[in-house]
Amino acid sequence: MLEVIEPGLETSVQDWPGRLGYWNQGFPPSGPMDSWSFRLANVLVGNEPGAAGLEAQYIGPSLKFRRDGLIAVTGADMQAKLDGTAIPMWESVAVKADQTLQMAFAKTGARGYIAIAGGIATEPWLGSRSTFHKAGVGGMEGHALKKGQIVPVGEGHGQAGHKVAETARPTFPTDKRWEIEVVAGPNDDWIDEAGHKRFLGSDWKLSSKSDRTGFRLDGPDWTFTAKATDKAPEHGSEPSNIIDQGYPCGAINLAGQTPIILVNDGPSMGGFVNPYTVPRAAFWKLGQSKPGEIYRFKAVSVEQAQAMAHELRQVCSEASIAK
Amino acid sequence: MIYEEPKYLPGGDRYMLIEFGDEMNLELNFMGQSLAQAVEENGVEGVIETAPCFASTLIHYEPEEIKFSDLKSEMRSLIETLGPSEDIELDSRLFYFPAVYLDPWTKEAIEDYCAKITEKEWDPEFIARLNGLDGVEQFVRVHSGTEYWVASLGFWPGLPFMMALDPRCMLTAPKYNPPRTWTPEGTVGMGGASTCIYPVATPGGYQIFGRTPVPIWDTQKRFPQFESSICLFKPGDRVKFVPCAIEEYEQVAAQVAEGSYQYNLVEYQRFSVKNYKTWVESLDTGARF
Repeated sequence: MLEVIEPGLETSVQDWPGRLGYWNQGFPPSGPMDSWSFRLANVLVGNEPGAAGLEAQYIGPSLKFRRDGLIAVTGADMQAKLDGTAIPMWESVAVKADQTLQMAFAKTGARGYIAIAGGIATEPWLGSRSTFHKAGVGGMEGHALKKGQIVPVGEGHGQAGHKVAETARPTFPTDKRWEIEVVAGPNDDWIDEAGHKRFLGSDWKLSSKSDRTGFRLDGPDWTFTAKATDKAPEHGSEPSNIIDQGYPCGAINLAGQTPIILVNDGPSMGGFVNPYTVPRAAFWKLGQSKPGEIYRFKAVSVEQAQAMAHELRQVCSEASIAK
Repeated sequence: MIYEEPKYLPGGDRYMLIEFGDEMNLELNFMGQSLAQAVEENGVEGVIETAPCFASTLIHYEPEEIKFSDLKSEMRSLIETLGPSEDIELDSRLFYFPAVYLDPWTKEAIEDYCAKITEKEWDPEFIARLNGLDGVEQFVRVHSGTEYWVASLGFWPGLPFMMALDPRCMLTAPKYNPPRTWTPEGTVGMGGASTCIYPVATPGGYQIFGRTPVPIWDTQKRFPQFESSICLFKPGDRVKFVPCAIEEYEQVAAQVAEGSYQYNLVEYQRFSVKNYKTWVESLDTGARF
């Protein structure tokens, strides 16, 4: 068990791939934004890659262990210390009862991950332990960790000193610029050629009005094809309006002129077009970027995006662990 | 129109959007729902979940288990097995929902949007003007003058996407540009030709003009209607808004808070697509109330 000494800015229980199967009732998957770092943290401590762990946003928590155990810290560098002594990231570390893990603000990246051998053992809700903050379900009482809470942990069996190979870790840019893969569609034919060129050729700044439901982007205006302007009135008259439809998780949702990337806690349906979709293998970049940073989008095919996911699955496994 | 051949559109590495047409009608909604049902009954390998809406079905699949091209042929053969929607008859619950139209709460949200994001006309006035109505009073009469068909659930847990069943009450409106950052819980709104109820306070893109105190989702399952699901509605339900005063709203809200509220619904009716179509054909659809 863990005791929450300080919760950090927003530290929540997440599992991967999250709450699947309820998209047709409006429940999002939730789960870690950077599942690359998350899965490897679990593998390090001997858990299944998707076991429940903690995601900390911008500022990490302080946690006191109630019994001996094994942890791993990955993702953003939140300067983790155990009883005041710095501990390595991307490595399984033994902890003793009454020791305290302290984390601070993220020096690089935005989201840090903490896995503990045995996994977090809160009660699953609709098949997942992931926290869906906005609806107050999953995780610890539906919300981010609060000071004084006791977080239940399962029985683990991993070993200390396991490390993730350097080549298997995500690298964060030092110039605050990210290249994010996108696949055209489902509604790419609503955007004209100039609009596509502008989308792929411009800088997009991540807005501070972003959270786990959506990442708002600031950039140039969009232009449309006749399909967007000459249509049945039930779509709604604005060019970006379409008859409400299912949204892919990762869709770049064009709400009026504002593109919003729909992420882990995002809406399952709505009435705006989605000209592009960020494939899941690129989600970690969204998870590790901060408001004010710049995105450039790079078009890839469906097959390329699927190959990326396949490759990432290989990386997030025992094969990447040096013992 | 309803397309001769549905469109199979990619969404990143793991979604396919199947679009059946580009208008809003019951037939298209049944195509979307029936495909989702067929996928569930047939247990297509590699399909994780579906999300049908007014004129389309979104398929979430695992490409490690099924390729896009194979999924497309599987879906195409399933679509061929779907019967004509003319023959569909189903049990359809009818919910009566008290709602304060032109209420102070949505007005406050709109004023906040105008102050912080961008100026816009008051939503009910805007909709009335766009649809050639005499004013907000006629808008209330027209909007509340029909039953609404729950076409699907989505956007947010339990949120119903609904269409007016009486074509004389069909209204249309653009969606917000940019969207609101917040909407009061229980808000009634519309965008395109779709009407919805916001289950909780969320961002939103629909024009907003009313509020109901009746909960449409309940994680605590405090009311018997939530025994089998924490979402009140299922596709094929109908909703009738009953305009009410703020006093009645507050009375119902108090009953909800203490757990004594009784949902006002009828459960004895069957909905026949054939009968519905016959009725629609008999109407002067140019008329307004």
